[in-house]
Amino acid sequence: MKLLQVALGILTAIGGFVDIGDLVTNALVGARFGMSLAWATLVGMVGICLYAEMSGRVAAVTRRGTFDLVRERLGPRAGLANLIASYLVTALTFAAEIGGVALALELATSVNYLLWVPLVAFFAWLLIWRVNFSILENGAGLLGLALLAFGFALWRLHPDFGHLAHQIIAPHKPGSERLTTYWYYAIALFGAAMTPYEVFFFSSGGVEEGWSRKDLMVARLNVYVGFPLGATISLFIAACATLVLKPRGIEVDTLSQVALPVAFAAGKVALAFLILGFVAATFGAALETGLSCGYAAAQYFGWQWGKFVRPRQASRFHLAVLLTLIAATGLVLTTIDPVKITEYSVVFSAIALPLTYFPILVISNDPDYMGEQKNGRALNFLATVFLVIIVVASVAAIPLMIWTRAGQ
Amino acid sequence: MTETSHGRVLDLNMHLLDRQVVDRDGRFVCKVDDVELERGADGAMYVAKILIGPRALGPRFRGRLGVWVRAIAERLSTDPIPTIDFAVVEDIGSAVKLSASLDDLRVAPLEDWVRDHIVSRVPGSRHASE
Repeated sequence: MKLLQVALGILTAIGGFVDIGDLVTNALVGARFGMSLAWATLVGMVGICLYAEMSGRVAAVTRRGTFDLVRERLGPRAGLANLIASYLVTALTFAAEIGGVALALELATSVNYLLWVPLVAFFAWLLIWRVNFSILENGAGLLGLALLAFGFALWRLHPDFGHLAHQIIAPHKPGSERLTTYWYYAIALFGAAMTPYEVFFFSSGGVEEGWSRKDLMVARLNVYVGFPLGATISLFIAACATLVLKPRGIEVDTLSQVALPVAFAAGKVALAFLILGFVAATFGAALETGLSCGYAAAQYFGWQWGKFVRPRQASRFHLAVLLTLIAATGLVLTTIDPVKITEYSVVFSAIALPLTYFPILVISNDPDYMGEQKNGRALNFLATVFLVIIVVASVAAIPLMIWTRAGQ
Repeated sequence: MTETSHGRVLDLNMHLLDRQVVDRDGRFVCKVDDVELERGADGAMYVAKILIGPRALGPRFRGRLGVWVRAIAERLSTDPIPTIDFAVVEDIGSAVKLSASLDDLRVAPLEDWVRDHIVSRVPGSRHASE
């Protein structure tokens, strides 16, 4: 039973790692830069592993979600500024995910995505309102494994793996691209891999499922095994784009172009699986981002939150989720291209990263809360190195965005 | 935090303010938005009440933001600021644990309003998730 629980957790983490940000950014970058930016995904993966483990440990030991402790440590004023920024970024990601589900459904049905948006939004709300937390998390994660169609396509393309690996290990910027654009997309990939909502969701999920110290091992395995395998899917996406799109000069600005390599190399059945994977991954992430918006607000203000109580016992939380859903749906219905929303959301995620990750590092070092479970020295060293990277990426993001006109 | 014969010595900023308050069943009540102090017979200051809501939190924002939050909140409600008597505080750990039940405290008018006027009207609000 224990083994089954561990396996389920890991599979969920693999399928749940990839969202619309990872899908679009990895394909876009693969088509333009080959594998020369894969290092950014790998660096982001190590970062999310370190910080998700810390936030999960804090949740298991203190039974408090991340934002609960953010206000306690930063004080009400800085905490509020943090809440507003994190909320806006997560809500923007929420909009991107809803648009992503609708685009995936358009791929499957040829019905315009705008017609799918209200249905997707309603269905997301219904699940958040009625369905048990574990079913939401595991269901979306397991179906998301259909994204392994990218791996199958990569295998069918018979690439020179040595050559791909060489591009990853010894990155070389393509001559046609400017250095500023190269770094802009490095930050975008980093933001896509480390999206702040992932730690809100992970830690709040720990509280939802009532983790205690004895669940720590399972949580760690999910993170340290599941996330790296999830990041492998990101690399598959980039590799497929490198092999199929880049030589033909195809740039990615629609979801169908993300899927193109799979249709080209692996045929219809793989494409059907892939679209299932798109829908599951983006829909799962829509639920996660929607809940995360509610978690962040409720944890800052001290409201009852969570799906472990009936909706009427957490009224303000459910209202906050609903209002966010309406706003996010409204944004997508303005006909702004969801792929564009996604491209911006990953960069804004990178900008907001220090707001989430700095307090987590502080709290997981606090002996008052954590007792013997506080960070060890090696972890602190690594986490501090990452914090420096996160801050540099965050500070550099806006000037690079302006300089490169958002990566053009 | 150290124990003395009169009670616990607290660093308000480190151990009390902005901490989550939970009721005896583990339900989330509020944050410690501010506290009311009283001077005891021995001249020491004691925490008498936990103050709750934007009118308590507003002034702690400092500056113009604080003035605004408080002014808006005061226009929205003329009831007294909700409080919790510190006598019902049972323990202070990673949360402030009360010996009372959330249902008896009635300290969250917005929660009550949203529940009664919006959430309760949506089908399924009384059922646990499936």
